[in-house]
Amino acid sequence: MCSVGDDGFDETENLKYMPKKEKPSIYDKCNKCREEPPCIVLRSKDKYCKQCFLAGTIHKFKALLGKHKLIHPNDRVMIIHKCGQPSSALLHFIRTGLDLETHKRLRFEPLILFIEDQLHLSLEARQELINNVEKEVGYFNFPKYFTSITQLITASPPENALQAKSELLKLGEDDKTILDRFLEHQTNETNKNDFLNIIVLLWVEVAKNLKCKFIFTPEISSDIASQLLTDISTGRGPHVPLDTGFCDSRDDEVKILRPLRLFDAKELAFYNHLNNLEPVTVRARKDEPYRSIQNLMKRFVNDLQMNYPATVTTVLKTGDKLSVDKESNEKCNFCNAPINEGNEELTSAESTQFSHWVSTQTPDYTVASEDRYNKILKSFQNISFN
Amino acid sequence: MPQCSAKCGKNAMLKRPKTGDMLCKECFFEAFENEIHFTITRAKLFKPNTTVAIAASGGKDSTVLAYVLKLLNDKYKYQLDLVLLSIDEGITGYRDDSLDTVKQNRDDYKMPLKILSYKDLYGWTMDEIVAEIGRKNNCTFCGVFRRQALDRGAALLKVDYLATGHNADDIAETILMNILRGDLARLNRCTSIITDSGDGIPRVKPLKYTYEKEIVMYAYFKKLVYFSTECVFAPNAYRGHARMLLKDMEKIDPSVIMNIIQSGESLKVNETATMPSLTKCTRCGYVSSQEVCKACILLEGLNKGLPRLGIGKSSKAKRILQENSPCCKTQNCLCNNK
Repeated sequence: MCSVGDDGFDETENLKYMPKKEKPSIYDKCNKCREEPPCIVLRSKDKYCKQCFLAGTIHKFKALLGKHKLIHPNDRVMIIHKCGQPSSALLHFIRTGLDLETHKRLRFEPLILFIEDQLHLSLEARQELINNVEKEVGYFNFPKYFTSITQLITASPPENALQAKSELLKLGEDDKTILDRFLEHQTNETNKNDFLNIIVLLWVEVAKNLKCKFIFTPEISSDIASQLLTDISTGRGPHVPLDTGFCDSRDDEVKILRPLRLFDAKELAFYNHLNNLEPVTVRARKDEPYRSIQNLMKRFVNDLQMNYPATVTTVLKTGDKLSVDKESNEKCNFCNAPINEGNEELTSAESTQFSHWVSTQTPDYTVASEDRYNKILKSFQNISFN
Repeated sequence: MPQCSAKCGKNAMLKRPKTGDMLCKECFFEAFENEIHFTITRAKLFKPNTTVAIAASGGKDSTVLAYVLKLLNDKYKYQLDLVLLSIDEGITGYRDDSLDTVKQNRDDYKMPLKILSYKDLYGWTMDEIVAEIGRKNNCTFCGVFRRQALDRGAALLKVDYLATGHNADDIAETILMNILRGDLARLNRCTSIITDSGDGIPRVKPLKYTYEKEIVMYAYFKKLVYFSTECVFAPNAYRGHARMLLKDMEKIDPSVIMNIIQSGESLKVNETATMPSLTKCTRCGYVSSQEVCKACILLEGLNKGLPRLGIGKSSKAKRILQENSPCCKTQNCLCNNK
C-alpha cells in the first residue's frame, strides 16, 4: 500500500516544487547561543558555533553514559579501538572527561584494546599500521593492549594473545589462511561474517581477565541501524535489543556499552577536526555490496538516508522499543543470547524445516492422499531439532 | 540431468527457490500443496463446515490461492464452502481486465463470485479519485478503501473467514517497511497468520510461508490463468525501497525471506511503548484506532474538496473535521468551548 505522504512531514499546500534548501547567510546565528556565527550545520538545519558545538557534543556523550547509571567510580572499562573517526573521538571524550577538575568529571578507569584485522594488507603495512595506532593512542595516556585477530581466535586462553607494546606483536604471513580455514565450514560470506561475531565472546573473556566490568565499542548510529536490519534479515530478531541497544547485557559480569550510538559520522569527524585529531587511516578492504547481507545492508541504509534523512534515527527508535524475552533461562552456547522456547504457534522456522523435509521425501503413491501426507508428517515430527 | 531430490526416480525439471532442491514437476506440485496443507492444519486456520471468502483480484496470488484451496478442500476434506470476493476499484484499463480473469476463475473453479465496487460503496471510482487528488498518495486511498470493502463484502456474504493471497515476500517486505517507518503497532500485527478485524470475520493468510517465485512457478506449470500487469497508478511508493532491498537480499541468500518472517514473529515490544487501542468509528461504526476511521476521513476530504485531508498529520484532520461538523456551527457546541 502506498504510504507516500503518510509521514505527515509535509505541511505545505504547494507540492509542485521541491522545497528550497535554506542557504546559510552571513547574518545567521548559532541555534543555541544566538550570538556567535555558526561554523557547522548538522542534520541540514541545526547551526552551531564552535563553542556550542563542542560543548553540545561532549554533553551528549556524558548524558548518555549518565542516563543509564551503569558505570560507577573506579570501574574498569575496556575500550575496543578501531581505526577511524569514531574511535579517536571516543578517546578524546574520555580523556577530557577524566581530566575535568569539576565534580562533573568522569570517574572510571579505561584501558584500550586494539585488535588488528586488516588481513588484506601486506605484512609490512600491517606492522606499520599497528605502530601508527600505538602512537596515536599513546597520546591519550591510557593502558593499552595490542593483538591480532588470528592470534586472538587461536590462543587459548585468549588473553595470551595480548601484548602491551606493538613491537612485541608478531604478525604472521599466513594469518589470513588460518582465519579462512577457521571459517571454511561456513558456506557463504554472510554466514562467515555472522560467525565472526564470536569475537564478542573473546572481548568478554579478555575483559574478565583484565578485571573490566564494561566494554565500550565505537559503533555510531548508521552502524547500529544497519546492524538492526542485518539481525532481522538473518533471523536474529530477538537479539535486536542486545545487538543495538545501549547496553548488551548477555554476560552476567561484563556489559558491552555503545556510547557513540546517537552520533553520526559528520559530528564526530568535525569534532576531531576542531580538536586537531587525525585518526590513523587504513586502506579498507573493498566491500562488494552483493557479497554478503551485511555489506548490502550498510549500503542500503546509507543510500536511503540520503533521500530520507530520518531513516537512521527512526530505525534506532524502533529498536529502542523492542525488548528481550526475560522468561527464558537457557543461553545459546555460541552467542550467549537467551534462547526463547517456542510456544505452540507455527513459526517460520518450523515451516522452513517442513519444506526442506517435504522436498526430499519420496511420496508414496500406493496409498491414499491423506495417508500419504500423514506418513510424511509423522516422519517429520519424529525428527528432533530441539 | 540431475535427479529429482525427492528420490522419485524422475529427472528434475526445476530448482525451487525456497530450499534450493531440484524437483520434478509432480514432486514440486506435491511439495507446494503439502506445505500449504501443513500451514493450514498446523496453524488451525479453518474449522470444518464453514464458509471462506477468497479475496480475488485475478492476480497470480489470488488465482493460485483459489486453485490450491479448492484442491486441498477436496483432497483432505476440509468441508469448506468456498466463494470468490472481488473488489472493483474502477480503474479503467486495469481493473476491468483483471475482473474478466476473476470471472474466468469463477467458471473454471466453479465457485460463486461476488463483486463489490468502490462506486457502490463510497460513491467514487479510483479514476475519479485520482482526477481529484492528482497522482500522489493514490495508494493510500485505494488501500484503505479496499480493506474496508473486503470486510464489508465478507460481512454481506455472511462468511466465516476471509482468505487473502499475501505471500512470504509480501510479509517480509511489510516487516522491513514497518521497521523503516517506525510503525510498532503494525510491526506487532503484520506477522499474524490470522488477524481479527474486530467485527468477527477473521482474515487468514494461507500463503504466508509461500515464496512469490514459487507461486509464479506453480501457476506457470499448472497453466493457471491470471492477470499480471501492475496497477497503472502505482507510483514510487516507499514500499518500493523495501521491495528492492528484499529482492537484492534474495539474490544473495533466498532463505532471507523466511529469516525476516521468523525475526518478525519473535519480536517483543516493550510494555512501556504506547500502542493504539481499537474502538469503533463514530461515523460509520467500522473498527478503527481513531475516533473517526481513515476511510471516513478520506471520504470527507473528497466530498468537501479537501483532498489532502487524510494525508499527513491526523491531528490536523481532526481539527478540520471538527470545524466542518454541523454541530460546531452553533454557539453552544461543547467542542467550541474545549
